[in-house]
Amino acid sequence: MKTLNFKPVITSEKENNLRQEVRDFLKEHGKIKDAEVIDSWSVCDPEFSRALAQKGWLGMTWPPEYGGGNQSYLERYVMIEELLAAGAPVGAHWVADRQSGPLLLRFGTEEQRTHFLPKIIAGECFFAIGMSEPNSGSDLASIKTRAEKVDGGWLINGSKIWTSWAHVCHQMITLCRTAPETKDRHAGLSQLIVDLKQTGITIRPIENLAGDKHFNEIFFDDVFVPDNRLIGSVGEGWSQVMAELAFERSGPERFLSSYQLLEAAIKQLRKNGITHHAKMVIGEYTARLMVLRQMSLSVAKQLQEGKLPVNEASVVKDLGTSFEQDLPDAIRLIINTEPRPSEGEGIERLLSDAILKSPAFSLRGGTREILRGIIARGLGLR
Amino acid sequence: MSDLVQMVEESATRLFGSFFETQATELMEAGDFPQAIWDDFVADGWLKTMLPEEKEGTGLGLEGGYLLMRLAGYYATPLPITESLMAFYLAAEAGIDLPNGVFVPVFLTEDTTQSSTLTIKNIPWARHAEGLLIIRPAQTGLAVSLVAKGLYNCQPGQNMAGEPRDEVSLDTSHLQQSSPLTGVDMAKLESWMALARASQMAGALKSVLERTVEYANERSQFGRQIGKFQAVQQQLAVQAELTSASICAVDAAIQHLSTEQELELIACAKITTGESAGYAAKTSHAVHAAIGFTQEYPLQLSTRRLWSWRDEFGNEANWSARLGQQCIDLTTDDLWSWLTTQTS
Repeated sequence: MKTLNFKPVITSEKENNLRQEVRDFLKEHGKIKDAEVIDSWSVCDPEFSRALAQKGWLGMTWPPEYGGGNQSYLERYVMIEELLAAGAPVGAHWVADRQSGPLLLRFGTEEQRTHFLPKIIAGECFFAIGMSEPNSGSDLASIKTRAEKVDGGWLINGSKIWTSWAHVCHQMITLCRTAPETKDRHAGLSQLIVDLKQTGITIRPIENLAGDKHFNEIFFDDVFVPDNRLIGSVGEGWSQVMAELAFERSGPERFLSSYQLLEAAIKQLRKNGITHHAKMVIGEYTARLMVLRQMSLSVAKQLQEGKLPVNEASVVKDLGTSFEQDLPDAIRLIINTEPRPSEGEGIERLLSDAILKSPAFSLRGGTREILRGIIARGLGLR
Repeated sequence: MSDLVQMVEESATRLFGSFFETQATELMEAGDFPQAIWDDFVADGWLKTMLPEEKEGTGLGLEGGYLLMRLAGYYATPLPITESLMAFYLAAEAGIDLPNGVFVPVFLTEDTTQSSTLTIKNIPWARHAEGLLIIRPAQTGLAVSLVAKGLYNCQPGQNMAGEPRDEVSLDTSHLQQSSPLTGVDMAKLESWMALARASQMAGALKSVLERTVEYANERSQFGRQIGKFQAVQQQLAVQAELTSASICAVDAAIQHLSTEQELELIACAKITTGESAGYAAKTSHAVHAAIGFTQEYPLQLSTRRLWSWRDEFGNEANWSARLGQQCIDLTTDDLWSWLTTQTS
């Protein structure tokens, strides 16, 4: 049984100064500071992403030779949690900054790094995630999209689905089968960087139940990808994807998606009066949020120390998404109103958004059951 | 972790682990005092763990005390460790010298010296104590009176774990002689006791998780270990999540002692451990099934303590309401900046 490590962290003056700098920046973007937004990391605003790039806040932990800021994971943690808590629209660059860039730094070629990283850092190159397929969700190893070796590159056929912002993004890291499935299901998978403007690609939008149109289905019909766009080694796609997911799972976006509802509820209760029961609910959820911040910050520190805390990341994501899903259900009972998607402002619209968007919170980036399976393995049960 | 703290942790682990093998719990639950293991504890000099070096202590303060309490919680040690450590610490702060023995702090929220007799419920281990350290609000600050055994009556009671929780009655004239305790108020003392129970729960939660995972890996049904069933794995994964959240919350509260954030982080620790206690007890008993429901099997030593401690010194509802009120009262009107001061 591996012990889960969540040693609490106190940030230093360096991180605290950065926090203030982000707050000042958000104040300048007055509209964002006062916005009430649920799940702001699914809101795409390329212009805002470029404004962050100008501040040096994209790729801020990456090495300076690619234009990165060479800052710590703790600094990145502070920067992104400030943006998320304020409801800033960070969706455009989110995937590239969080996982595609780090993946290239770990497994990519020098040419790929010099080609893509400076563009990501400048806010000019956005990445999409090419993992799920119509018949492959949690069972990722069952993907059917094939990349066949041809002269000078690979020819991709198949489809990907639930790809957020594929119609806005420039590139997609696509997990493909490059060898037929054998008894070792994790063998024969490879990751290719696909230019989404390439001929043979069709992108079809899928509207979600909340009325948002951020995800898509993507069809590949003999799409050519040159040899130099293969990441890492042929057949090593599975272990590369697993490393990618460790970065994807532990961040503050896993518990802040509905945070603005908590602030709005407190403001409302101040105005309209508060019952003892409402106080209890606010206190209980605040306590859960306090611990989640400590835990996520602790994982950021461990990433900084060069560790790959896969189990801890799964714990943060499972507890975090439970929190952000439970919150709207608890708040609606103490606010005593009817959620209204049509209300322009106010808590009725926020509640409606939070409830309608919340099913995705525990699906994206690995479902509850998958995460708990990983934790169970860490406990020595599998 | 400093070398000293690590040494303390290692030797306390050995000592409390050795107590676990004895019949001490049966003695305690039968109403007797487990004198033999208490003598071992006292002989090793642990009572002065929290005291400063100039008072012949180990100098580990509250932080060191909470470390011992967590280990005692892990081993379900049937001794008044928390109570005695706190009594020695607070007595020293008030300039009172205590001889080696069981002393129990008693917290009165009001100055009750107006009436002639006083009855106080739920006093841990009172019947076995050499004396009570009664702390009450006075005209200025807090007053501490040491009331020796024989000067108060005890009506025995116990919590669900069989730990003594007695009703004490005494003549208030015994409180006339007192020493001032400065630098703290009653709310702070009560929060320190809440963190004591939270630390004990963090230890008990860890023990319950380890025991349950081990059992799930040993017990076979339908031809395989029950831990191989997904339904069991998923429940234990959640138990592990809540256990690690509890340990983190307690660690964070200890880290924030004597800072402006102390009280809110203690609230968070008591809420988190209390909520986790219920889930952990329920799940570990479900995984163990009937054997875990017996007196003989040691799981109940931890689960009965979890069920008791979550309600002592404020349950989740009490602390949540206080924390909720604090959120409403924030003068900055900004929850987020308040939250972030807790990690900076």
